[in-house]
Amino acid sequence: MPESALDEAVIVGAEIVAGHDGTAELVVRLLHPDGSEHPVLLDEDTGLKLMEACGASSLEDLYGQSWRRIVPDA
Amino acid sequence: MFDVIVRGGTVVDGSGAPGFQGDVAVKDGKIAAVGQVSGEARQVIDASGRVVAPGFIDPHTHFDVQLLWDGAAKPALEHGVTCVVPGNCSLSLAPLKAADRRAVVGMFQQIEEMPPEAFTTAFEWTWEDFAGYRAAIEKGLSINVAPLVGHSVIRLWVMGPAAQERAATPGEIAAMQDLLRECLDAGAVGLSTSFVDLDEHGRPVPSRYAQAEELDALAAVLGEYGRMLQVVPEFYATDITIARIDQLADLSIRHNIPTTFSPLFDTLAVPDNAERAIARVEEQFARGARVWPQMQTRPIDISFSLLRPSLFFARLPRWVRILRQPLDQRLAALRDPETREKMLADLGPDGGEAMFGRLIARGGDACPRALVGKTLSQIAKDRGQPAGLALIELSLENGLDVAFLSAGQGHQVTDRIGPMLAHPLVHIGASDGGAHLASFSTYGDTGYLFSEFVRKAGAMSLEKAVAKITSETADIWGLKDRGRLQPGLAADIVVFDAATIDREDELPVFDMPGDGMRYTRAARGVDTVLVNGAVAYSGGAYTDAKSGVVCV
Repeated sequence: MPESALDEAVIVGAEIVAGHDGTAELVVRLLHPDGSEHPVLLDEDTGLKLMEACGASSLEDLYGQSWRRIVPDA
Repeated sequence: MFDVIVRGGTVVDGSGAPGFQGDVAVKDGKIAAVGQVSGEARQVIDASGRVVAPGFIDPHTHFDVQLLWDGAAKPALEHGVTCVVPGNCSLSLAPLKAADRRAVVGMFQQIEEMPPEAFTTAFEWTWEDFAGYRAAIEKGLSINVAPLVGHSVIRLWVMGPAAQERAATPGEIAAMQDLLRECLDAGAVGLSTSFVDLDEHGRPVPSRYAQAEELDALAAVLGEYGRMLQVVPEFYATDITIARIDQLADLSIRHNIPTTFSPLFDTLAVPDNAERAIARVEEQFARGARVWPQMQTRPIDISFSLLRPSLFFARLPRWVRILRQPLDQRLAALRDPETREKMLADLGPDGGEAMFGRLIARGGDACPRALVGKTLSQIAKDRGQPAGLALIELSLENGLDVAFLSAGQGHQVTDRIGPMLAHPLVHIGASDGGAHLASFSTYGDTGYLFSEFVRKAGAMSLEKAVAKITSETADIWGLKDRGRLQPGLAADIVVFDAATIDREDELPVFDMPGDGMRYTRAARGVDTVLVNGAVAYSGGAYTDAKSGVVCV
């Protein structure tokens, strides 16, 4: 795996998708320090909390944010 | 003398073989003859110009409660479905001690969104054990039922409140095994479990507290009967789903049981999700495992109102900020002309027509009924407003409780999904019939299979589509006398027009106990449905036939 200059995983992509239960959900792509990239699907409530925690008013505002914003206690 | 002859149709017998012109004769609830049938019958059904096929089987439903007052599982039957599998996702209504009813009702309400009156006024609780539940639904069945028993209720029966607190002891696991045997003896076709679901308090359902040893012990009992294990995996994460596929494969091989997991769906945000899962399924089948992924046919829609913040507006920063405010401030902002002007400016020069025009007003408690089903574009035109303003004002006029639907936002690309549905190891199912009542319709997926994937896309032949939802489903689930038009098998038959079979538009109806609302879809192109030889639906109406059985 190529290594990156990152100390921790950061959000490098965000997209709204349709959830199984008919709500809008948020898929964020995390770039890890080892260079790998993985999607994480967040339900509507968690996605809204993430945007609030990041002070984000658009999806693009999430880019570069730490993965820790997804799990506030981490 | 036969009881019924369905004459002159194109017989598509469920095997996948080419259809042929012929007749199907019925006697004593069984198929008596298929081909050029001579002789007379008490009832002759003219099927000229129509397809005559085995009744469809829906392997993933939550009709457990509805079946207690509606033995047809409406509208499933009118879509040609003659057998449903309730009890999925770890939840069934038996075995269930009287003291635990409240807890399980909460879990059902969380999943099914069924009004409380459904549990308090629509039926009498007469049972605790599985045999008692079976007897309660058998009194009025028009449709066949192949019920699963839920892992969560088995756990709750044995462990009480500790079922949602800790792992089971060896003694408790042994007691669960005995209870599962009792349920299988009473007619359960397998066990369902979930790694995902929550109760109404947001706590994991009991099955999620089980350790691997417990599931292995229960799978061993399924192995004694050769019965199905149904699982809801962490479907939102591909890597975890693949790990669950591996776990199911090990259980399948060790105990010689079929397993199935649901849902599996396609999403452009994670385009390799379904592809990777199916590839792993192929590997595990090659090892000798049976792990059937269930994939739905219908696209997934997004539904929202302005009553709660929704990620639907995530690309509109100002809208997100306003809709995230407490209700009183949100209402004030939406009423403020200056704020509204800025919100509308965000939508571009067309006033939101491109962004919102295709939204469909779909109900909600307060939506004026005359507007239900109309696009926001139509509503805006009638009001003489831009679409964005119509959305805001219509919502304000109705306490913000107007639901809008953005259709086909997931699992929506026919060219991607068609080949997956046609894949020999993909099990068509996961309709969730009887669940998500207040959010969207879970009916008509079979009609959509024919209209979208057979007629429109040509992803599979008519015969293949019929086989997928009849004989293949029956074989996967071990339903030995269902799924084929073959002498000696149960006479579950659907007569439909191959050129028009489809699902109708989604509409809210108020037919749940307590005038509760649910979204449904009527059937199109289905003429007649026979269940165990009796006409249960014909010419757009249900009959009084109560010929459904609990089938194993």
